[in-house]
This record gives sequence, structure tokens and C-alpha cells, in this order.
Amino acid sequence: MGIVDMGTPKAATKSDLEDLRDPAYLKIRDMIYQLSGIYQPEEKLYLLASRCARRMSVVKAKTPAEYLEHLTVRGNREAELRLLLNEITIGETYMFRSLPQLEALRNVILPQLIQAKNAMGFKRLHLWSAGCSTGEEPYTLAMLLLEESEKLLRGWTFDILATDLNDNSLAGAKAGIYGEYALRNTTELLRRKYFKPYDEKRLQATDQLKSLIRFDRVNLNDDAKMIFLKGVDVIFCCNVLIYFDLASKRKVVQHFYSNLLSGGYLFLGHAESLYQVDGRFHLVHFPGAIGYQRPPIGPTAGGQQ
Amino acid sequence: MNADRLEELRPRIRDLEAMPTIPTIIQPLASALMSPPEQVDLERVIELVSYDSTIAAQCLRVANSPLFGRQNTETVRSAVLALGLKRVETILLGFCLNRIVPPDKWVLDAVTFWRHSLGCALVSSKMAAAVGYPDPEKAYVAGLLHDLGILVNTLTCTQEFRKCIQAASNGQAALHQSEQEHLGFTHCQSGKILAEQWHFSADLIEVIEFHHDVVAAPAARTLVSLIHLSDLLCRLRHLGYGYYEAIGVNLAGDAAWAALGEEYPALASVDLARFTMDIDGAMDEIVATVDAVFKPQY
Repeated sequence: MGIVDMGTPKAATKSDLEDLRDPAYLKIRDMIYQLSGIYQPEEKLYLLASRCARRMSVVKAKTPAEYLEHLTVRGNREAELRLLLNEITIGETYMFRSLPQLEALRNVILPQLIQAKNAMGFKRLHLWSAGCSTGEEPYTLAMLLLEESEKLLRGWTFDILATDLNDNSLAGAKAGIYGEYALRNTTELLRRKYFKPYDEKRLQATDQLKSLIRFDRVNLNDDAKMIFLKGVDVIFCCNVLIYFDLASKRKVVQHFYSNLLSGGYLFLGHAESLYQVDGRFHLVHFPGAIGYQRPPIGPTAGGQQ
Repeated sequence: MNADRLEELRPRIRDLEAMPTIPTIIQPLASALMSPPEQVDLERVIELVSYDSTIAAQCLRVANSPLFGRQNTETVRSAVLALGLKRVETILLGFCLNRIVPPDKWVLDAVTFWRHSLGCALVSSKMAAAVGYPDPEKAYVAGLLHDLGILVNTLTCTQEFRKCIQAASNGQAALHQSEQEHLGFTHCQSGKILAEQWHFSADLIEVIEFHHDVVAAPAARTLVSLIHLSDLLCRLRHLGYGYYEAIGVNLAGDAAWAALGEEYPALASVDLARFTMDIDGAMDEIVATVDAVFKPQY
């Protein structure tokens, strides 16, 4: 799971700010949005500019307009876009990174799902971390669910499917060994409950935590495998689809739609959106987060607030 | 609504009129803010600012804040020019309204309240522009003043209102629902009474009364819908009432969305995810402006 990090230190200087008036940045921004769904508001263009600057020095582009050419008309434009997206989405991640999404899951979605499923006498929850990379996301979800196991989820069973395409990432995720960086947002209490010492600097997830997660290698483009994933309540797929072209993205999102139960949710990265990808999902706002809901059966959610 | 409770409140709201702190310039300011920018009289605004030394000091402080590049502005005139008319008028209006609440009486703290109000003003005018609503200025003022009733409740039933907010915060619930439960009326109804006393325009009064119940708005449903959606968006982007509201809202499924879309079909093509992220970008300025004006200085 890569994470879009548009909130890192403001390094913009006065000259950068003047540079930002260059309309080429807006064009690059809009192009990235159309191709990947990742968006930066104008006030955050300086962050995009600093990411572009790194690539510009590599390809020796002198102006943003010249770099725009690398992204649009040069023969290697697809590769260049990918490299730029790599700069924008920082590979490293940590537990409890997307707090507003996790709060929405615990405070809004779980109560909603529990109410709906209780009515059917079906006390089981399935979460899926699609593109789980080295496992920070599924372990975070596992801790969140376990913390609710004596409260909201008393009497419920739950599990998490964690998939990735990369075997090395998956092996790392299965081992569940993390250093200070990955655990920076994890409270002391949670560390003590769900981790054990591994070596001097690292902790390892306990068997209890691991037992909630099923790791598997899945290519999201693999129709044969995707068709058989059913009954999922919530999918987290952060900054994975940005690397897909529109046609494959549409196909994957259609699969997600079928993978989800009615009323289930899909979460993307926090600067990512399903722009022109699938109109069947309902866009739902939570405090500080946006999710995509497969419409529930019966009266639609929403209404007066 | 509990009609008796609201009737009890009426004389107390009338008494507010007698408060010496009610600035007489509120009404002219609200109408000045609503006129198109090219028709605003710069000299009149400078005069209004100079009229009150505290307000003049606030304008200078904001103009000299990091947000505006610490310009070393020394005169009211240059401060007004540096800030732009829109910001000056907003600061003026906010400051006048702010003054009717004694510092020790605030229930929602002033910074939270003004971040929400100014946020709603900005989102309303952005949304107005996005759908082609012809009067973004009016949308801005309506957004700024939609929660006037919160000030009324703060002043007329401070203790009970404190309990409302506490209960709403504990239950992660909407404020107007908590008010209904604990007070028997909401800030919509109490705000309407003061807005009428202050002779606000009819559509502004409707916004104040119906922004949580769009379908009940008799005449200005489009404007009310616009404000309703902006209010929700602010509460969903960390500019609410300062506590976590456990809500998940499909805005496109909201009655206000349908009402606004009926009048302005361009709404259907608004990319809501992108619009939301643009709002986030603009929120930094809201927060900085409000903090510069209303945060206590030590």
C-alpha cells in the first residue's frame, strides 16, 4: 500500500511560489487526476511542484512546461508518469495512518453494518485490504476490530483478507515485524497488547493478531480469482488503482462492486477518487474521509442531517 | 418543536435588542456584503472600519499576519486594500456579532463557531459558482450567518445550551437534534426570531430557519439547499462544532441536492470528490483568518 503524502514539510520558497503560477503545473495536476484519480487543490500545488522537481532534475527538464512534454508527448511518457506517481505516493507507511477512515469505520460503518446484519441474524464481518504491501493496514484493521470485540462486536466473528501482488511484501506482512517508524502512531497500550519483542529495535505481531488475517497473493487484474471473492463488508484499496489504466481500473472497480455486500464500502487513498470510473457506487462523506458505498437494498442512506 | 419553550424565549431575545453592545452597523454591513463587489463603496468600508478602534486594530493585525506576508501595514486604508473588501467586511461582521457575546459566555468557543461560519460562507460561494447560482455574494453572507441561532441560544439559555452541546458531543450526534431533545427548539427557530428583529432579508431568514429542514422552506429553497449542503460539507471536513459527529452522508441522495439540482442542472456534473478536496485546500486560509481575528492574544 503506497500512501499519498501531500502533507510533508512546506519547503516552498518565494521563488517556488512564483514558479507555481506556471500554468503547466495546473495541466500536470489535471492530467494526473484524469489518469490516476489523485488530486491536489491549488493551495497544495507547491507539494506537487516539489515532487515534479525531483523528476525534472533526473530527466533534465528545465521548466514545468518542458516536463509536461515528458509526460504527454515523449515516447516514454507512461513510464515517466509512473515514476512521478511513485514520487507522489510514498511507499513507506505506518499503522493507524488514515485516522479519519478508521474513525469512520469504527464510529459510523461498524454500527451501521451491525444493525443491518443483526436484523438478518448474520454476525460475521469480512474486511479486505487489497494491496496490503508490508501489512501495516491489515494489522491496523485487526487491532481496531479486536478492540471492539468486547464492545460493538461482542458475539461476532470477523476476519481480514490481506492481498498483494508482490511476494516480498507479502512475506514481510506475514512475518509482522515492525520498527519504530511503522509503530509511530500505535499507542503504548496497543503495542503491549498486540505485539511482542522481536529484537532490540523491533516488535512482532502476536499470533492472536495474525490469526485474524489471511494473507494471499492476488492480482487484481485476475478475473478468475476476483470473481470468487464474495461477501466483503469493507474494502481498503489505497493508492493501488492509480497505477492502472482506465480500462483495467474500471474492471477492477466492477469486481470490487461485486465483491462487496450491498451497503458495503470501498475506501481509497485520501487524495484518490473514483473519477469517471464507476457511477454505481454512492460517494459517502464521513468526517474527514470519503468512502464509496455499494448502495444498500431498500431505502437509500442520506437524507436530512 | 415545543411552541411554549420558544414563546418563553421570545422576550429574552427581544431584550437582546437593548444590549448596549449590539452594533448598529450590523444591518448596513449585512446588506453591503450582499452587493456585488464592484458596487461596494471602498470609502464607506474604510469609514466603517475606522469608526471603531478595536475593529481597526483587528484589521491591521490580520493584514500584518503571516497569511498576508507580514506587510507592515500601518494605516486602516492600506490594511483594507491589503485584505480586500470581502475579507474586511467579513471581519467586520464577524467582529460585530462576536461582540454581542461576552467572552465568558461562549458555549461553543468563538474560534470554533467562526471557523464553521466562515467555512460555510466560503463553501457556499464556491458551490454557488460551481452550479451557476447567480448570486455568490448572497450565498456567502447566508453561509456566514446561517447559525445566528447558536449565538441566540448562547445568550438566552447559556446553561441549557451547554448541556445540549455536551450531550451532542457525547453521543457524536447532530447539534440541532440534541437541541430539539434538550431545549425543545433548535437554533434554527431561535435564530429566526432575532433575524426578524434585525430585519434581515426574507431569504436570509429562511436560510436561518430551514437550513436543517430544506423541504419545509417555502420560497427560497434553492438558497436554503445550497447552505444546507455547505453546512454539511463543513461539518464533514473538520469545520463543524468542534466535536466528532458520527455521520456518513450521501450528499447526492440528500433532499437538498435534489432541490438544488432541479434549479441548477449543472450540479449533476460537479465532481464532488474533487470539490471536497478543493475545499480542503481553501480551509487553511479560513482557519488562519479566523485564528488571526478571534483567537485570544496573550
